[in-house]
Amino acid sequence: MKNKIPDFVKTNQFGLLLLVIVFILLFTFTTDGFSSRFNIYALSRVVAIDIMIGLAMMVVILTGGLNLSLGALGVSAAMFGGWCMESMGIPISISIVLILIFGSFLGWINGYVTVKTGVHSFIVTLATMSIYFGFMTLLTEAEAFRKLPEAFTDFGSMKLFKKYISPLLLLSILTCFILYYLFKFTDLGRKLIAAGANPDAAELSGISVSRMFIYCHMLSGFLAAVAGIMLTARIGAAIPSMAGHLGFDWLLPAFLAPVIGGTLLSGGKVTVFGTMLGAILVTLINNGLYLIDVGEFWVRFFLGLILLFAVLLDRAREYFTSKNSIVS
Amino acid sequence: MSNLLKKDWFGLGLVIILGSIIISFFKPAFVSPFNLYVLMLSVSLMLVVAMSQMIIIAIGQMNLSVGAIGGLVAISFTGLMEVYDLSILPAMFIGLGIGIICGFINGYITVKTGISAFIITLATLYIFKGMNLGITEAQPFYEIPEAVKYFGNAKIFGPIPYLIIIPVIITFLMWVLMNRTSLGRYMLAYGNNVQSSELMGISSTKIVVYAHIISGLLAAIGGMLVVCRLQLGTPNIGDSWLLPSFAAPVIGGAILAGGKVDVIATAFGVILVAIISQTLVIFKIDPFFVQIFLGFMILIAVFINRYREYREERRNKVFSNE
Repeated sequence: MKNKIPDFVKTNQFGLLLLVIVFILLFTFTTDGFSSRFNIYALSRVVAIDIMIGLAMMVVILTGGLNLSLGALGVSAAMFGGWCMESMGIPISISIVLILIFGSFLGWINGYVTVKTGVHSFIVTLATMSIYFGFMTLLTEAEAFRKLPEAFTDFGSMKLFKKYISPLLLLSILTCFILYYLFKFTDLGRKLIAAGANPDAAELSGISVSRMFIYCHMLSGFLAAVAGIMLTARIGAAIPSMAGHLGFDWLLPAFLAPVIGGTLLSGGKVTVFGTMLGAILVTLINNGLYLIDVGEFWVRFFLGLILLFAVLLDRAREYFTSKNSIVS
Repeated sequence: MSNLLKKDWFGLGLVIILGSIIISFFKPAFVSPFNLYVLMLSVSLMLVVAMSQMIIIAIGQMNLSVGAIGGLVAISFTGLMEVYDLSILPAMFIGLGIGIICGFINGYITVKTGISAFIITLATLYIFKGMNLGITEAQPFYEIPEAVKYFGNAKIFGPIPYLIIIPVIITFLMWVLMNRTSLGRYMLAYGNNVQSSELMGISSTKIVVYAHIISGLLAAIGGMLVVCRLQLGTPNIGDSWLLPSFAAPVIGGAILAGGKVDVIATAFGVILVAIISQTLVIFKIDPFFVQIFLGFMILIAVFINRYREYREERRNKVFSNE
């Protein structure tokens, strides 16, 4: 049996791209204001952060683990940044470097404890989530930093391309390309994937799996800190509750994007652009649900249904492609 | 005696007794009837929630939607009584039924698709919570029958609340289930090794669906107990259950890979967490510290369990050399 369908059509990304286009067309024709300049700009600011959160989760899912502390970590990093810039008066560029180091350090703690105890990262990050968030609330006394340097907050409200796109989105897309390069073309990236795909085999071929897992957690902390900085720039202030209680508001987008994008939960497979498309799709649907006016209370319900539908669809796709390959 | 020392619950029991003695030495208020009453109330609520998570841990999975099921049942229970004027018993049975259905959905989808229970229950968490918010529009139900309010606040004698009866019965039944019935044994076997349990002829579908149904049922009971306690049905019931639901079984020594749980140790884990939270309150320590403390306790428990495993491995090695 000859197979005339090109390979990329069968991939998850292609299906996602189609879905994104379908939803854009659907919302453009059925709702007022979806394609307005204001809405597209607002979307680009939201989607930028969702992509970053999704990537931060993706690199930990690569190890077959999870990072529940993502939101708490991102907010802690952002609050640390607010303290650096407002209370200490440290210049913006140095502050950002410090925030990134801080985020990576918190990620390192997650990774170190996970590797040393051999306990599933779910439990470790569940514990660190409440520790990070608790310390952050104690130290800041739940007060926000609202007098950040103007140069910093201006970046968050800057408008590019005839005022359609936020520079935050460009930053996220750039991060996608860097991560793609890392996983596709560098020695380190291949080692990270090998360690996640089959730890035993990787260990036998001379890769230190523990170190690779710790790197993944550090990278996750780093990306979560970037997301924290971006959110601070967007809001114009560092607020302890900006990701909800314990950072829970970040969890659904964090899991939706990589899972819809086709990242395997058992580890060993990442799809950077799948995650990006997943984040775009989720933000689109979320935005569309508000515009169609399903009522703000039902939005969560539909997001849950979409996640369920997405994983079932992915399962079906896997099933049919594996059947196809047996036939050919 | 040496057999006793090996039990998960023995060390915990010792910590609880010694800790209580030390705390009451410094703060006699700790053993005041009122404090004991508050302590028992929080233990009774968390006991049910912890058991609801424990049974899923036994089969090697996680249930993120425990709190969402509890919340949905809580508002359905109160909503049925307030809006539809149902009497307590039918409202209660419908509440239990919703819990069972939610659990069945979780279990059935997980086992039929083979997708990780984490993702399925994350999705259902949002679905159940979304239904809860969609129905209530974030408004609580206040009209609760007097009998329900009475049950939530009356005392049997001394400081012992009525509310503790149901959790104690549930804990006993769970102990029987996990230690004395074949279903419990099959669950542990499944949690230990899915392949070999299937080869033994145990039906995966049955085990996973039953475990999730029991989990949903317990979450439903937890939700309704909170309604009795608070005397109102607010949509945010269950929001804060996630961390404590994992804390108690983990502190009780459950292995998250599945196949090992200890009902008594989990119950002791609940008591320990309650005592520590209460002590921090008595010593007037910032409530946010309670959260940090809970996080650290999970980490410490994880390290201790790891150390014990390590010691066991070494002992086994010595024997095999001989």
